[in-house]
Amino acid sequence: MAAAHTPETSWRESATGYLFLAPWLIGFFGLTLGPALVSLYLSFTDYDLLSNPRWVGAANYVRIATSDPKFSAAMHVTFLYVALSVPLKLAFALLVAMMLNRGLRGLPLYRAIFYLPSLIGASVAVSVLWRQVFSGDGLLNQALKLVGIHGPSWISNPDTALYTLVALAVWQFGSPMIIFLAGLRQIPKDVYEAAEIDGASRSQQFWRITLPLLTPVLFFNLVVQTIDAFKAFTPAFIISGGTGGPIDSTLFYTLYLYQEAFAYFRMGYASALAWVLVVIIAVFTALSFLTSRYWVHYDG
Amino acid sequence: MSGFALSRRSLIGAGIGGATLVGLGGLPAAAGQTRLRMFWWGAKERAERTDKVNQLYLGSHPDMTIASETLGWTDYWARLATQTAGRNAPDVLQMDYRYIFEYARRGALLPLDAYVPKALNLSDFSPAAVDSGKVDGKIYGVSLGLNSTAMVYDKGLIQSLGLKEPVWNMTWNEIGDLAAEITKAAKRDGFTGMEDGGGNEPLLEVWLAQRGKSLYTAEGKVGYDDKDMTEWLAFWSDMRKRGASAAPDVQALDRGEIDSNLLSLGKIAMTFAHSNQLVGFQAINKSKLGLSTFPDGGQGAKPGQYLKPAMMWSVSAQSKQAEAAVQLVSYFIADTEAGKLLGVERGVPASSAVRNVVTPMLDDLGRAMVDYISLISDKVGPLPPPPPRGAGEIQAVLRRVNEQVGFGRLTPADGAKQFVAEASAVLARG
Amino acid sequence: MVDLAGQDGVTPPRDGRRRALLYHVVLCLASIAMLYPLLWMLASSFKPDSDIFGDASLWPRHFSLAAYWRGWSGLQVTFGRFFLNSLVVSLCSVVGNVMSCSLAAYAFARLKFRGQKFWFALMLGTLMLPYHVTLIPQYILFLNLDWVDTFLPLIVPKFLAVDAFFIFLLVQFFRSIPRELDEAAMIDGCGPWRIYWIVILPLSIPALATAAIFTFIWTWDDFFGPLIYLNDMNSYTVQLGLRSFVDSTGKSDWGALFAMSTLTLLPLFVFFLFFQRLLIDGIATTGLKG
Repeated sequence: MAAAHTPETSWRESATGYLFLAPWLIGFFGLTLGPALVSLYLSFTDYDLLSNPRWVGAANYVRIATSDPKFSAAMHVTFLYVALSVPLKLAFALLVAMMLNRGLRGLPLYRAIFYLPSLIGASVAVSVLWRQVFSGDGLLNQALKLVGIHGPSWISNPDTALYTLVALAVWQFGSPMIIFLAGLRQIPKDVYEAAEIDGASRSQQFWRITLPLLTPVLFFNLVVQTIDAFKAFTPAFIISGGTGGPIDSTLFYTLYLYQEAFAYFRMGYASALAWVLVVIIAVFTALSFLTSRYWVHYDG
Repeated sequence: MSGFALSRRSLIGAGIGGATLVGLGGLPAAAGQTRLRMFWWGAKERAERTDKVNQLYLGSHPDMTIASETLGWTDYWARLATQTAGRNAPDVLQMDYRYIFEYARRGALLPLDAYVPKALNLSDFSPAAVDSGKVDGKIYGVSLGLNSTAMVYDKGLIQSLGLKEPVWNMTWNEIGDLAAEITKAAKRDGFTGMEDGGGNEPLLEVWLAQRGKSLYTAEGKVGYDDKDMTEWLAFWSDMRKRGASAAPDVQALDRGEIDSNLLSLGKIAMTFAHSNQLVGFQAINKSKLGLSTFPDGGQGAKPGQYLKPAMMWSVSAQSKQAEAAVQLVSYFIADTEAGKLLGVERGVPASSAVRNVVTPMLDDLGRAMVDYISLISDKVGPLPPPPPRGAGEIQAVLRRVNEQVGFGRLTPADGAKQFVAEASAVLARG
Repeated sequence: MVDLAGQDGVTPPRDGRRRALLYHVVLCLASIAMLYPLLWMLASSFKPDSDIFGDASLWPRHFSLAAYWRGWSGLQVTFGRFFLNSLVVSLCSVVGNVMSCSLAAYAFARLKFRGQKFWFALMLGTLMLPYHVTLIPQYILFLNLDWVDTFLPLIVPKFLAVDAFFIFLLVQFFRSIPRELDEAAMIDGCGPWRIYWIVILPLSIPALATAAIFTFIWTWDDFFGPLIYLNDMNSYTVQLGLRSFVDSTGKSDWGALFAMSTLTLLPLFVFFLFFQRLLIDGIATTGLKG
């Protein structure tokens, strides 16, 4: 964060700040805060959506902490997903962004093509296709057959189903790629020219110029993708049809939350689950921010 | 040139303006009119038929407007729950047998008994058809079509293999043998005779009923014990071992929808579904499909299947025009002109008068559904005890436990123990 | 290709053309993998329904445009209406989001005011709560404002910077713009509004273009908001229109779904192609000094 307020921060400066912030403040107090507080309140109740909420104290949180096997299953799935999909997706996005950040012909077209999977988002087409690629007689196994490997039905095997969802996340690397590209474009050309004159090699340029100057953007992508991965819902929802199967191997945290809220009418419990997730994400985000001062360079 | 540019811009402006008018302001209803909101799930064909009935009804009710809302199954329940929670539920809404208990017991639906027979004409309904819309003794739903569990099978394939098609009195073991024969004759990689039904709750319900048990007792507890479940899970374990039913990693491709059903994916020849889904299945299957019953309990067994509404109309407890809403419902289910327009798209009409008018107009698929309902009508049992609160979760537990047995993580006996314990815990939690 | 495969890894650094060719080969192969699903969707839109599932081929055996016709005018409202609605909602969202989020981001990235850290943390916090649990309170809020069944619940939040993702995105970009530029402008007598307008915004064209692209695409693809707030079919967006073809328990029109899905991607693609120009060209011409 840009320097905390100092005694010199005059009220005039503060007023200007708040003026710029006004739309967001109105939105926050008018649209976001109320519903968030209501959900916090509901997390202490038994609320089935159709009748009035009933206060139960901390019972929902106690159940989460002590006697909910599905909670731990969902946590396990989610952490694994975050740990795998975030680094892979970011590495892939950065690699492709670097490849596309050159003066080659036809690059706009490639950029558009690589972004296309992210355009279709989570649609029926994706759910059908993923099955055709990763099922027993799918494309992947047909390819593996050529090299003599007999693969399992990846998407419907409890040991491998989650990896097909990681693959889906990596395949839709478009948004971080675009953000990396925009970041790369903001690095002034003359920095590289100066380095070239000094005789720096390409890899030296990458490690000494590109990467440091890209850290604000990398940091953004890391934080946002981590939050997104913790909250991932649609991939599992469309691929498993909302079941989280086989054997809960793709029971993402928010999928479990959704089932509790809308399939089993336990909005109170779902709200408690949501706030536990907020705390977990907040811890990770805070850690990212704390470490960021050591590796993120602003103001190139 | 500038004239063209101007006119084009104003055209676009008008278009956007029009869209914004509808979008931002909504369409104001004329003063003094009754405006009913109606909400159902379904796709295009149902929308067309429903719309025609509404138009016909409005022809004789010029003081009314009907605002129709429609979505697919999954989306439907999310929006309905949100609208109901927000006290903004539609007046007339389509209900499913699985959800009516949840909604009625929580006071979201209007009991309709007081409207019979004046506003709501159920005179051509059999008592069983009326009862199928009752929750705790009161009418909360009116059947839009009779339905029952049914086996959908690949008629074309079984015929081409030179095998016997399944018939209504084949026992579980006979069906199993047939499935094994199909697997052997078809000789296709990953293809089996039928689906793995171990995780299929309606199928388990039929199996239990045939041995005089049920999914739930009248007191709202589980209606079976470890021994029943061990037998059930072992039966399917054996079916998989014999190659009669789908391997676990094939079965797991099924997400409980028509498009992901193994029959639609060309992996099996027989699946356990509902009779009104025949049309949906046929639409995405190249081969000709047939309809048969769930397996028979054999000598001395009780009837397993029962007639249930494919879907129902219910009226919201929040409706401010309940009387008008009930009249519209009555028109849909009792009027023969409406019946002609609806056909059997939502299931076979429960009203005998409507059924008589509709039957001669049907195509092959429609007739197969009607024939099926009349075939089983004298073989079905009474409605089972209603599902208690929280019961909706048990089907997911059953599916998971059957998968655990299928993938070799649990023995049938351990799976049974775990299932009964989890199901009891779910019901205790409510 | 054979020739290149042998050269892999030992390409002399000065051999620029070979290198470029290698790039193209790699990128082409990757493109095909990326595009396969879309091509399948395109192929499916020309197939009869019974050929769609359990068939991964990219070439329809029976070629027909019927699904496009059915899809476009098969529902009670034509698809053109849905396109218009989506366009209105998405374009308004782009304007609202870019405006309101860049204002807030400027405050966080460049100004000093009391409570700045606190508000920034709260802003990030709003990213973390899963929307499923705020859905119903929010619905009741909009219901009381009488906004349900209008576009307002979809558009107004965008003008109030409710999606913190974009604020955070712009904050990160604004902060990497050299501060000397602000200081120089301040010496020339510019206040914060002018600096925002003549220094920060022009230098952030790539970032603003990114925000615009994402807003447009995400709004266009969003179905949960429209699903909850739009009841009247005349006000449906394309995503709701698409879902009207499918009912997982009954008879669906898959051909029409895939045909219209294909058409639905076109505006996104065009929007993307147009705005990525800004993303790429934006900075190259400014001659920014680091």
